[in-house]
Amino acid sequence: MEQPGFFPEQDPLVEDQLPDGTLRIKIIGIGGAGTNAVDRIKLEDLEQVHLTAIDTDSQVLSASPVEETYLLGRTVTNGKSTGGSVSKGQLAAEADSNALREIVRGIDLVFLLAGLGGGTGSGAAPVIAELAKSEGALVIAFTPLPFKREGAGRCERAEKALESMRKHCHAVISLPNDLIFEQVDESATLMEAFATADKWIKLGVHSVWSMLFNTGLINLDFSTLQAALSDPGGRTIFGTGYGKGENSLEVAIKDLESCPLFHLPDPGVIKETDQLVLNLTGGPDMTMATVNKAMDLINEKLGSKSSLIMGASIDGSFYNQLRITIMGTVRGTGITKGYAPVPAASIPPNGPVAPPLKPAESFESKEAPPPSKREQEEFAFPSQEENRGLFERTQRNLYEGIDLDIPTYLRRGMKIPRN
Amino acid sequence: MSRSKIVGAIEIGTSKVVVLVAEMADGRSMNIIGRGQSTTAGMKKGEIVDIRSVSDCAHAAIMAAERDAGKEIEHVYLSLSGSHLWGFRNAGATAITGTDGIVSGTDILRAAENAKSRGLEPGEVYIHHIRSGFILDGKLVENPVAREGSHLEVQYWHVAADEQKVKDQIMVVNGFGLDVNDIVISSLATGSLVATEEEKRQGVLVVDIGKGVTDYVLYKGRRVVQTGVIPVGGDHITNDLGLGLRVKSKLAESLKKRSACAMVQKEDRTKKVPLVGDLSIGDSFHSQLTINKITHARLEELFIILKNRMGSALTRQNLPCGMILTGGVSRTPMIQELAEVTLDVPVALAQSPDWVRNSELQEPEYATVLGLLYNALHDQKESRSDDGNAPRKTWFKKVTGLFG
Repeated sequence: MEQPGFFPEQDPLVEDQLPDGTLRIKIIGIGGAGTNAVDRIKLEDLEQVHLTAIDTDSQVLSASPVEETYLLGRTVTNGKSTGGSVSKGQLAAEADSNALREIVRGIDLVFLLAGLGGGTGSGAAPVIAELAKSEGALVIAFTPLPFKREGAGRCERAEKALESMRKHCHAVISLPNDLIFEQVDESATLMEAFATADKWIKLGVHSVWSMLFNTGLINLDFSTLQAALSDPGGRTIFGTGYGKGENSLEVAIKDLESCPLFHLPDPGVIKETDQLVLNLTGGPDMTMATVNKAMDLINEKLGSKSSLIMGASIDGSFYNQLRITIMGTVRGTGITKGYAPVPAASIPPNGPVAPPLKPAESFESKEAPPPSKREQEEFAFPSQEENRGLFERTQRNLYEGIDLDIPTYLRRGMKIPRN
Repeated sequence: MSRSKIVGAIEIGTSKVVVLVAEMADGRSMNIIGRGQSTTAGMKKGEIVDIRSVSDCAHAAIMAAERDAGKEIEHVYLSLSGSHLWGFRNAGATAITGTDGIVSGTDILRAAENAKSRGLEPGEVYIHHIRSGFILDGKLVENPVAREGSHLEVQYWHVAADEQKVKDQIMVVNGFGLDVNDIVISSLATGSLVATEEEKRQGVLVVDIGKGVTDYVLYKGRRVVQTGVIPVGGDHITNDLGLGLRVKSKLAESLKKRSACAMVQKEDRTKKVPLVGDLSIGDSFHSQLTINKITHARLEELFIILKNRMGSALTRQNLPCGMILTGGVSRTPMIQELAEVTLDVPVALAQSPDWVRNSELQEPEYATVLGLLYNALHDQKESRSDDGNAPRKTWFKKVTGLFG
């Protein structure tokens, strides 16, 4: 299904709607796939958000219409591609870390678009993510994953890269190509097929953007998002759905369930979710009843009442329409390998879609009840290795096999009470 | 007869560069005539990561000190710290060769050479050989010369460092057009100042918890027995707080200075402290309990590491004078209590000796540079007695005599 109405006539990304430079957003495409995605966003002419393309291949970059391009690893690859070597990609990024740091300096929100599986995307993207994070940006990555058919090696590389991206980014939203291409007609040209993938990425970027910038009745701002994503390493949940007409809410939720960006981890895990941000965008006719109902339905589906933060915003052009965006992190409890198969997304619109979300009953099932209903006052930290903060760029400070730069309370697994 | 010397003591620390200029007359007295300092950029964990910005900071501080003194520095004493420093104990032994079995100077020299002969890894260099005692026929003796015996052992504590890192530090000073006369590791400089002779005789551990690293030195029987560096300092508390409370490190730093306490107390449970504290809109509040828990965990761990390193030396019996704490982190409230609980030895905060009259110089950040000057003064005496006025060009001098 097309996602009509999502980009209203007046593009929301035009200058006069941006609050005066209070929030700086940069979309960075890394590697071949990432650069393509950025190019496509550029073609849509969403100006006010800064776009950057980074690749090791000078040919790809010279063809890019994006204003800021950076040729990575001149010293490592001489302007040629990495040829699928992850370590080369990583080397290239590390060699240019100063220049990359400049690129992400002063940016509040960085979207990284990187196709995983290749050399540059898999190798350089985690490094750039780490840099951006250390410069204080909130880092959200959209990562297309290769086709299973592209070979086990490539998939394995992608899987590894995904894991290291999870360590460095605040949110990683992966997008298995296999799922996306199920939406595309057999007859579609390759161009069209890839355009679909890029469109989903763009949609993702856009829905986060509109969550932040459309003034809301119940406002969700950057800080809320930051708080919800503040802890890198968890598993990101992201999805967006659109509905129109009489039952716009139900349709939107159905659409959300079939969003290819929305892979739900194992059932039950979601209860451990610490914070989910739910944003509703509706027209001026949106009623309180709709909002309440949406909350109830989502709560029921995800079963995490305590941690759901809701926002609602009004878009003048959204009469009789509704968009639901959900974003959050699931902590700890082991990262599930691969992705839960989400069969064919929104195409056809009302086709027999097996919803990835199990009905509420099965969530309530006995298989993995959480030990106790814990209030979210305490946080566990999923990965220690990267919690070096100030010392990120220094040598490991090993003492009897322990890295002393990692906060003591983390290593001791102490629970730190939060406000 | 001889004119006075203008001596500069330079400490390039992780938090700041501190320079003192003193006028030394005849190696007997000194007047501190100038002081300069600047906040350091480009240092982490006591080591230079960006030599350019460190140079700029150091030069600014040296310049300020010279201007303050109105004289140019002639001799430079530089303190050294960082986790690349390491020490080990190595004894040298020799049989007494004289027919009468009386220990002579050459016997001692031979034993000393023996002790110092241990080779280092390539890229490492000796900073100090500190003599910590003689053992003549299995008995600890103060001075073996002219005593009778058959087997002499001389105990040394050796301090070695990464050559490149030492060169970097020297280069910073050379960049200002100054030669470095001598290098003294920070812990020795600090220790010689804050511990009294009596404390050194009975046994005392001086611990300087700075911004980047923690330096320590253990004295016993008026000798240096052990020195060391633990690569944990105030920055780690800041970093822990920054990550724990999810605030920027700059804010975490000010929060730490304002509110962090080394022990968790009952009333912390309900107390909240502002992040910025200037009553501005949007200031967030953080639980005192969280702050103190994080601080407590880090400092407690530091003391535990210290305890592990010192082993049985760090007990009430072996260390009657306990521990003296100095350095910026020693300002943390309740740190003394925490150290006492963790290490089970008496703990005192460092106090400068009486001859430091200026109240500002009594602050912990000047302990190391004052110690450097104090050592320099002794050094002058020594050099007068052995080789007259010839200035030592090389920094790589064994200061055995000084500390031995």
